[in-house]
Amino acid sequence: MKIKLNGKAFVTEVPILTLLELLKKAQVEKPEMVSVQLNGEFVGKESFAATLLKEGDEVDFVYFMGGGSERTLWMI
Amino acid sequence: MDDLSLITKILHTKFLKEDVHGSLHMPVYDNVTFEVKTAEDMELAFQGRKPAHMYSRISNPTVEHFEQRIKTITQAVGVLALSSGMAAISNTILTIAKTGDNIITSKHLFGNTYSLFEQTLKEWGLEVRLSDLTNPDGIGQQIDDKTKAIFLETITNPQLEVADIKALSAIARPAKVLIIADTTMTPPYLFNAKDFGVDIEVLSSTKWISGGGTSVGGVIIDHGTYDWKQNAKLSADAKKFGPFAFISRLRREVYRNTGACLSAHSAYLQSLGLETLTLRIDVACANTLKVAEFLQGNSYVKSVHYPGLKSSPFYETASSQFNHKSGALLTFDLASKEQCFKFINGLKLLHRATNLQDNRTLVLHPASTIFCEYTAQQLQNMGVRETMVRLSIGIEDSQDIIADIKQSLEALR
Repeated sequence: MKIKLNGKAFVTEVPILTLLELLKKAQVEKPEMVSVQLNGEFVGKESFAATLLKEGDEVDFVYFMGGGSERTLWMI
Repeated sequence: MDDLSLITKILHTKFLKEDVHGSLHMPVYDNVTFEVKTAEDMELAFQGRKPAHMYSRISNPTVEHFEQRIKTITQAVGVLALSSGMAAISNTILTIAKTGDNIITSKHLFGNTYSLFEQTLKEWGLEVRLSDLTNPDGIGQQIDDKTKAIFLETITNPQLEVADIKALSAIARPAKVLIIADTTMTPPYLFNAKDFGVDIEVLSSTKWISGGGTSVGGVIIDHGTYDWKQNAKLSADAKKFGPFAFISRLRREVYRNTGACLSAHSAYLQSLGLETLTLRIDVACANTLKVAEFLQGNSYVKSVHYPGLKSSPFYETASSQFNHKSGALLTFDLASKEQCFKFINGLKLLHRATNLQDNRTLVLHPASTIFCEYTAQQLQNMGVRETMVRLSIGIEDSQDIIADIKQSLEALR
């Protein structure tokens, strides 16, 4: 399965079915602090387990702290 | 954690990262910048894809811990600490409104807030519609499709008026208008803003929170009750960031670009202040009621204004909204401005100083100080009288406060 994760190609031999599984597979740092966008739209934490991914999806993980660019979220 | 009382939550808010030395207080990170291990990490951090502080104008561990404590006690979606209460107000308005928009507010406001709205922001195209927020009839007619918020002070300073906030919220919500409340006089513990329909709290943490006038600061609290898709300026952010749209726009643009950051040292002092907040509020509010009752019975005093007095027209509203504690600010009127000055000059213990909710009792003459830039007509419109003295009651022994007031009143003879 091939998706785009934080702007870069992310390929996995084992299909990833949900956002929650992707968080684990991608070894996201401090997952309790991450905010997720799927194809440019916000997905709440309560929906991670129920949100199914499909080939070609674009997923962005952004943190609530640090940085200084247009894309950046800060600590909330 | 949810079952614990407010003071326990403050004292036991966990650090987001364990301190290497096991400090019980969040250390003061009084530095500007933070190093990461690689260029790749730096890129990720700047993109917001790695959890790391980079530059203290944007975020700082000590400030972040202060914000976390406020977030813990309010269960808010987002909390932002700033350099002052005025920075909290200006940053909030700049985030939710643009040229051509309007807000509805009271003509009875803190002098600097009135100046911000009527002078500074008006010149940038914000329309300010003044109303009597203690009488909600007619406010609905002032709302149009450019109205972004109703802005109120929970207790106005120095008029000491109290609006029925649930009534205002009932008007604002169906019209998709935000309720922004300045809760400087009634911070969390005195007032559960979310329960009364407040969407955004702004407050000067210089006052109750700092722990006795130790430092200047401000706080913005987003209770997560407003659907940001309803705000034209933030609807695109709402799609990307959901309930975090307002706070993320603040963080990544308005707060960052205006340089309104709280210093780490001030955040440390304010975090310490939070630890004794409830104790100080209880004592100062009890003292204020005693002083108000004393003044009511004094022949030199023409009138006393304190929403905690049963004679106040705002007593019922204040009691129900503020947990039967009506703050620690009161005003009273003497016969003339000259009498006010003589009284103020005759005080031996109380301090002639401007601030609120210091640990010490402070006195001033509002018309000649914080409202000195306004004409007599403007003062009348704002409910500020030449004969008015303002007392911010501290946590001294109430008998000592009353004794000093008494001797100075008696010297007016």
